[in-house]
Amino acid sequence: MLATLVTAVVNGLRGELVRVEIDVAPGLPSCHIVGLPDAALSEARERVRGAIRNSGFNYPGSRITVNLAPADRPKRGAAYDLAIAVGILVASGQIRRGGGAWALLGELSLSGTVQPVAGVLPMVATLARAGYARIAVPAANLAEAQLVGNVEVVAVDGLDDAARLVSGPRGRSARAATRRDALSVSSVSGAAAMPQNTGAAHLTGMVEPVDLVEIRGQGHARWALEVALAGGHNLLLVGPPGAGKTLLCRAIPGLLPPLRDDEALEVTVIESVAGLLRDGGLRRDRPFRAPHHTSSYAALVGGGPALQPGEASLSHRGVLFLDELAEFDRSALDALRQPLEEGVITLARARGHVRYPARFQLVAAMNPCRCGHHGDEDRECRCPRGEPERYVQRVSGPFLDRIDIHVRLGPVRPADLLAHGEPEHSAVVQARISAAWERARARNHGRPNANLAGSAAVRAADLPRTASVLLDELAVAAGMSARGVHRVVRVARSIADLEDRARVLEQDVLAAVQLRQPDMRWPRAA
Amino acid sequence: MAPLTERQAWLVLASVKGVGDETFGRLLSIFGSAATVLIAAGDGRLATASADWQRRQGRPLLTAPVLTELRAIAADGNERLTALSDRGLWSLTPLDAGYPGRLRDLDPPPPVVHGLGDPAILVARRVVALVGTRRPTPFGRMLAGRICGRLVECGAVVVSGLAVGVDGAAHAAVVERGGRTIAVIGAGHDTPGPRAHEGLRRAILAGGGAIVGEHHPTVRATHGTYPRRNRIIAALAEATIVVEAPVRSGALITARHALELGRRVLVAPGRVGDWSTAGSLALLRETPAYPLTGLDEMVADLGFLGGGDAASAVVGGPEARGALLATIGPTERSVAERLCLGPAGLDGLVAGTGHPPAVVAGALTLLLMRGWAQAIGPVYLVAGPLLG
Repeated sequence: MLATLVTAVVNGLRGELVRVEIDVAPGLPSCHIVGLPDAALSEARERVRGAIRNSGFNYPGSRITVNLAPADRPKRGAAYDLAIAVGILVASGQIRRGGGAWALLGELSLSGTVQPVAGVLPMVATLARAGYARIAVPAANLAEAQLVGNVEVVAVDGLDDAARLVSGPRGRSARAATRRDALSVSSVSGAAAMPQNTGAAHLTGMVEPVDLVEIRGQGHARWALEVALAGGHNLLLVGPPGAGKTLLCRAIPGLLPPLRDDEALEVTVIESVAGLLRDGGLRRDRPFRAPHHTSSYAALVGGGPALQPGEASLSHRGVLFLDELAEFDRSALDALRQPLEEGVITLARARGHVRYPARFQLVAAMNPCRCGHHGDEDRECRCPRGEPERYVQRVSGPFLDRIDIHVRLGPVRPADLLAHGEPEHSAVVQARISAAWERARARNHGRPNANLAGSAAVRAADLPRTASVLLDELAVAAGMSARGVHRVVRVARSIADLEDRARVLEQDVLAAVQLRQPDMRWPRAA
Repeated sequence: MAPLTERQAWLVLASVKGVGDETFGRLLSIFGSAATVLIAAGDGRLATASADWQRRQGRPLLTAPVLTELRAIAADGNERLTALSDRGLWSLTPLDAGYPGRLRDLDPPPPVVHGLGDPAILVARRVVALVGTRRPTPFGRMLAGRICGRLVECGAVVVSGLAVGVDGAAHAAVVERGGRTIAVIGAGHDTPGPRAHEGLRRAILAGGGAIVGEHHPTVRATHGTYPRRNRIIAALAEATIVVEAPVRSGALITARHALELGRRVLVAPGRVGDWSTAGSLALLRETPAYPLTGLDEMVADLGFLGGGDAASAVVGGPEARGALLATIGPTERSVAERLCLGPAGLDGLVAGTGHPPAVVAGALTLLLMRGWAQAIGPVYLVAGPLLG
């Protein structure tokens, strides 16, 4: 007897429909899975047999053939377990199809309980688009599945739950299904009350976030960080060990404006595919990822046998923080140049290619040399001759060229640490950043200043004549390239946004030049 | 083989590693001339004389390998001479009229100086040596550049050692301003110092300077050659300036040679307790060296630089600085005034002026554009007309 069920597969960030056909026919007891399964999927045989027997059903002693269609697409993972098991029960006549057509997602354990799987959000969205109005998902994936509207999503705990669902009459189910509106902005903003994902920062070796109020000194770097976050500018901090680079960057999560609704969905989809969304709903906080400098190429950029998204994609719409930039693998850094420019990563392999969004803001920190004290006012650099130059050259010029703001930090002095008065709280700074961010978004059709092309940046800056003359003079005096001038304009736009100025004034231009100081070639003083 | 002239014999004898200036002088006093020494090396009298010397002085005049080498080149010394001409080197010995008189103040004077470039520069007037550590702070590097700029304006020739650090900064600053400079190397001309200074060497020669050394071209630098080289730097110059010498710096050796020769030594002082200038301070405490307190004072203390046409161009003085500061905006002025007190990072400027970082950054950009300030790493300092 034949049974056909529907489930889905994730390819990149898109789900694709998969039909599961099960034929139970007389013959020697056996079970064959065809349709390009990978190792995890081939092992579904064993899981399914255990789950069926331990849920009070009979595993048919017949010849079982499982076909996963379309047959030419490679399939992987354990998300088909539930559909296969239910299909076998239907095909062997142990349960009867009820009124509704159910799509099933879930991995089975031998005891018959349903385990969570990755990529439920895009899979449910695809099934909903294809007209499947009733979908069973693992209980742990319910929150993300409910983000998709116009479908009835039901959490199932075990195979017996799923069997009851499938055999039940139309419109009735084991659990009250939660209905949501279509996947629209309004429904997603309503999801704010849902359980919030607290982030996967712990997965990347990041310690707990810091409030700016706990950071003394480094007023200049704090300001530079504020400007960078306000405009989405890539930022590089160079300074000696102990200058507070890492500490400042740990304050970033508390400074970022919340995700907009459309951005929140994008981020949540990526995390769903990466399997980081096990117990949460919509992500409202901007991602902040801090991969260690020993991270592999695939970990940063994405890849592996399953073409999983890497850190660059996981920090989409958020911040990718690379501490000790010069210690990262050079080829991995250079591979980040494509997302830095285009906001996407293309992973091309022999079996096909996927594109992951990766529009992240890069924040990087490094020492000026191996010992860390090159150029310090009163510490001796103990590096061998030529070593500081070599150290900096580990990061390629084109890569550095993508970074709008370069800040050189000096050491923190004891006087700064003991100074009276309290530095600003993160909440205060965050409010300023969010306000500037909103101004920029409203003006730039939703883009942060950092993503403005040259001419668009000049239009957005709306420089008064005095300021544009000054900019010309500065460009000549400091030997700036055209790209350098545009960079100054973009950063100046963000400085002006922080001050709530409609036009970019001279003082903004002057301050912006300072944020790219290491690049300026001022005339040598006599 | 045609008999060598005395000057040729002199060059051949000096090319033997192991025959330094002391030994050379002793051999000359024993045998009367370099040509006789070479003949004696061939017929065995040199070995006898060396043994004699050992009986009287307790150590041999020449070691066995040196004696062997001398015997070999006594048979044919032409290869040593062609090695010099092949490389386009000129050589000066005390027998030559062009041998710099100031080197004769050394006792004993180097028996030979090989060089590239213009030999006449060795006897130029107004020659000043500038030496310092191989690992200067950014300020030491900058000070070396400023001093050299002023020396070039006064028409002086700068001598240094072509090492990385202060030496390189000095040569580079002179070349950049179109001045002439002498580099004294501590090895043969086949290995003329750090590879990083390849371009600098070409520029020195192109600018009318010279690269000189006392060793045969194939001689490699050893532990002793660089300290020995320093006496030539000190002797070639009428005065020596020391920028940043830590304890046990080669620059201190140069300074002490200069003092022994009765030449004037100027030392840029440093902060008490600073590692980078500990040797400089010791020099100021223990010797009659002068402190270098400013570029005008330097010109005055060097005396022989004369008025120089640049003296009139000097602005200097707190009054002039005040007048200059009065011409700029108030925030810019407050940042500039803070910088006049000493180098500062951006945070120091924010703390020192009370302005927010964005305002300080803007003011600093204006000062940098005017050339009144300059950045070295994370630190800013005054430059141009604001320098005293």
